[in-house]
Amino acid sequence: MLYKVCRLYCFTEADRQDLFQEIVIQLWKSYPGFRGDSKFSTWLYRIALNTAISDLRKQRRRPSTTTDEIPPSLPDMTWPGEEEQQLQQLYAAIARLSDVEKALVMLYLEDKSYEEMEEIMGLNQNNLRVKMNRIREKLRKMTKETTYGIR
Amino acid sequence: MELDSLKYVWRSLEAQPAPEKSPEEIHALLQKRSGGIVTRMRRNLIGELILIAATYTPAILFYFLDFEGKLSAIAWLFILLLVILAVYFYRKNQLLKAMQCTGCSLYSNLRRQITTLKKYIRFYVWSGTLMIPVMFILSWLIIRSRFPAAPGADLFYQLSDTPWWQHPLVWAVFLIPFTVGLYFVNLWYVHRLYGQHIRKLQDLLLEMEEE
Repeated sequence: MLYKVCRLYCFTEADRQDLFQEIVIQLWKSYPGFRGDSKFSTWLYRIALNTAISDLRKQRRRPSTTTDEIPPSLPDMTWPGEEEQQLQQLYAAIARLSDVEKALVMLYLEDKSYEEMEEIMGLNQNNLRVKMNRIREKLRKMTKETTYGIR
Repeated sequence: MELDSLKYVWRSLEAQPAPEKSPEEIHALLQKRSGGIVTRMRRNLIGELILIAATYTPAILFYFLDFEGKLSAIAWLFILLLVILAVYFYRKNQLLKAMQCTGCSLYSNLRRQITTLKKYIRFYVWSGTLMIPVMFILSWLIIRSRFPAAPGADLFYQLSDTPWWQHPLVWAVFLIPFTVGLYFVNLWYVHRLYGQHIRKLQDLLLEMEEE
C-alpha cells in the first residue's frame, strides 16, 4: 500500500524513496499513539496520505502532464502487457488529478467503503459521493480528449 | 476510462512483488533524518537555540570572570536575554508539536496545521518585532541603574546634556520607526518562508470543503 501511495504522489524514483522513508518514519513515530479507536488499516492510510499530502517536501521534477502523454484507451482485446499498459494509462490520468482527488481515487480503487473513506478523509459521505462522481466524469473526459482529441 | 473497470488492474499491483526490505534496511531507514516540513522546522529551532546558547555562554562567562566581576550586571543582562529567548523557543516548539496529527483524518489534520501555522506565524512576527526594542529597553534600564556614575562612557549616556527623564522619549523617536520597520521585515520574511506552504494547505482545505 505504501508503494502505491508513493507512486501516486511522486514522479521520480528519488522522490518516491524519500516519501516512502518519510511515511515509515511517521508510522514509527505515531505508532505509540495508536489506541485502536479505528481499524489499523484506516490508521495506516491516514498516516500515509497525511504525509504525502500535507507534509510533502518540494518535488524535484514534475513532468508536464499534457493530454498527449496519456495513452489512448485500449480496445477490448488482450495481448501480452495489456495490464501494464492499462496501469500506465491509469497512473497518467491520476497524475493530472489534485492531491485530494488522488487520495479519493486510491481509496476507491482499494475498494474502501464510503464509511471507511469518511473515517480516513474526515469528509461526510454525501460530499465524498459528489466528489467521486466528479472524478469519474473528469477521468472519462480525459480519456475522450486523448482518444478522440476532443477538448 | 471507467474507474470501476480499472479496479482489477489496480488489484493486480498487489500481485506484483513489491521490493521487500530487510529488517536491517528498515532499521537504517528509521535512523535517517525526517524530511517533513514540521520536523525540519523543529530541527532548525533546536539549531538556533544551540547557536544562541553557544554565543551567549562565553559572553556571560567573560563578564562574570573578567574585570574582577565589576561588570557582572552585563552578564546578568545576558542571562535575562537568554531566559527571554528560552521562553520564545519553548513557545515556538509547543506550537510546532501541536501542528501535526498524522493519525487524524486528512481534513482535521489540515485544519489543525493551518490554524497552528497561522498562530506560529503571528507569534513569529510579533515576538520578532517586539523582542529587540524590549531587549534594548531592558538593557538601558539595567545599565543605567547599575552604572550611574559613568556618563558619557557608553552609548546609553550619549545624551548626557538632556535631563534623564527625557532619554526614553529620545529613544522612542528612534525605536518606534525601527520597530515598525522590523514588523514589516518580519512579515515579509515569514511569508517568504511559509507563505507558499500555507497557501497550499488552504487550497487543499478549500477543495475538501467544496461540495
